Amino acid sequence: MSSAVIEIDELRVRLGRREILQGISCRLGISGKGKAIGLLGPNGAGKSTLIQALLGFHKPSAGRARILGFDCHTQAREVKARIGYMPENDSFIGNLTAVAFLRLMGELSGLPKAAALEKAHEVLFHVGLGESRYRQIGTYSLGMKQMAKLAQAIVHGPELVILDEPTNGLDPAARQRMLQLIKEMKEQHGMSVLLCSHLLTDVEQVCDEVVILKDGVIVHQADLEAERKSNRRFVQLDVAGDDRNLAAALREIGAEGMSEAPGEWRIVLPADVEIGSLWRVAARERLQVRKLTHRRDTLEEIFLKAVGHIRRTPGDAPAEVPVHGRI
Amino acid sequence: MAVYRRGYQRYEGALTNHFGRMMVIPRYSWERILSQRFVTILLVVSLFWPVLCAGFVYLANHTELWQGLGGGLKRFLAINGRFFAVFMNVQSTFALIMAAVAGPGLIAPDLVNNALPLYFSRPMTRQDYILSRLIVLLGILSLVTIVPGMLLFGMQVGIAGFDWFIQNWYLGAAIFFGFLLYIGVVSLVALTSSAYVKWRVVAGALVLAFFFLLTGAAEMVNHVFRVDWASALNPAYALNTVWAGMLDIDIPDDKPGVMECATFLLAISGGLLAALARKLRPVEVVR
Repeated sequence: MSSAVIEIDELRVRLGRREILQGISCRLGISGKGKAIGLLGPNGAGKSTLIQALLGFHKPSAGRARILGFDCHTQAREVKARIGYMPENDSFIGNLTAVAFLRLMGELSGLPKAAALEKAHEVLFHVGLGESRYRQIGTYSLGMKQMAKLAQAIVHGPELVILDEPTNGLDPAARQRMLQLIKEMKEQHGMSVLLCSHLLTDVEQVCDEVVILKDGVIVHQADLEAERKSNRRFVQLDVAGDDRNLAAALREIGAEGMSEAPGEWRIVLPADVEIGSLWRVAARERLQVRKLTHRRDTLEEIFLKAVGHIRRTPGDAPAEVPVHGRI
Repeated sequence: MAVYRRGYQRYEGALTNHFGRMMVIPRYSWERILSQRFVTILLVVSLFWPVLCAGFVYLANHTELWQGLGGGLKRFLAINGRFFAVFMNVQSTFALIMAAVAGPGLIAPDLVNNALPLYFSRPMTRQDYILSRLIVLLGILSLVTIVPGMLLFGMQVGIAGFDWFIQNWYLGAAIFFGFLLYIGVVSLVALTSSAYVKWRVVAGALVLAFFFLLTGAAEMVNHVFRVDWASALNPAYALNTVWAGMLDIDIPDDKPGVMECATFLLAISGGLLAALARKLRPVEVVR
């Protein structure tokens, strides 16, 4: 039977007098399947605290979290032997070359000396730092440091890799390279990935599941794979004129539309409806089209809805109210 | 196949045990510390005194070399607790300097480079981290304290014979455990200083200052309040008193005894350990 990679049950974390995580529960990933989970949320939502609680850095005030079947607090050693962590901020050991740094990290994770040295070279070539592996990490550029951080997280071949803002400060080419590496980690090497990012496109590109946190509670959990398979397209349509019948007209062509403000519509187009049909509907309704744009992606729609910036997605049931802290 | 051609593969072999992982930090640290020229010079200089003492032991056990030179010299050349106390006092000075040189580079770089999350996200606890850093200093400081001390004691046993050992075995135990206590206190001072001060020179100076300042403070309390008990707050005096107790040397009656001094040393070690543990957190929590 396949089990979840991360199981969180009514987890509460209190830092000082503030309760940062307010009783969250979820089951994420499937052990051994190589899935990527995106962790999203606005600033201060509790993403980093959740990651730190999973790493055993914070003691839960109630509830529990398990990774690969081991309790993150009481069985921290077993958990940490199976995970790799890439912190958000610069984290290095001073005055070491990349090879020495990776070797040290490998040995600390339990690799024998010879294997650690071999893996250090191997993983540095893998992340594209092969030619500069004998340079001190302090002399690396920001992009190279990010790659070195990724390398130390996977040098010991963990089952779960936790990445905290891995594309921070990367130029577009380096960002693509990083995302490609993350994809390879899950698809070719069967690692599970927990990706914390505020860049929706990054999460959209590599993740199969997404969890959205807000104010210490999970406000949404979605299967992005299923969303992608549905092939829905999101369109923003701004019109001038009497648009009272537009919703009904859209339904006639199989699309769903919702007016957020006077003249501003968000429309979901199924895969078989052409964008041109929107022009025809607008002409029939005698509406002047002021703007017709594709929204960036499905995840943006999910995120904005989850954090309360839009009321709901067109086509969804209107009575969707998340239970406090539960999906 | 060459590594660069093979590509990345997940490691699936056997893992080392907990002790093996804990000894990784000391191995890397020893390699780095012993590559410093100043440390090498200090190590060599610190061996002069043990060599002199070895000559002294040889002379003391070869009475034929100084026959007819008088009873005063005979008393002077006796190998007893007082002899080893002098030896330990001199070597402890070198050990303190060594701790001031090697200690500050142990934790401060990890804090400056935000490396603690990397350690603590691996199968390593805060206790393991502190213990492995203590092992680093234990290894280095042993080279100038326990190792020459035990060699000297072994030499005396070798020359003087088993009967001498039966009567004086406690001197060997006193050298070993006395130095161990000293290394523990000095290492905790050095590590705490390294954790709180990121500039190595300042942190090193703080290690030395810790002993001088507390000595001064203890003397000041003694004089101002016309008491004697404050001598126990002087770590150098406290260590010397505990050593004296172990080596069976007389301790002045009007000063704090072995138990008071040992209690102070335990308390100060506990305080330093708590301060160290407080500083070594993988994440800074703003409460």
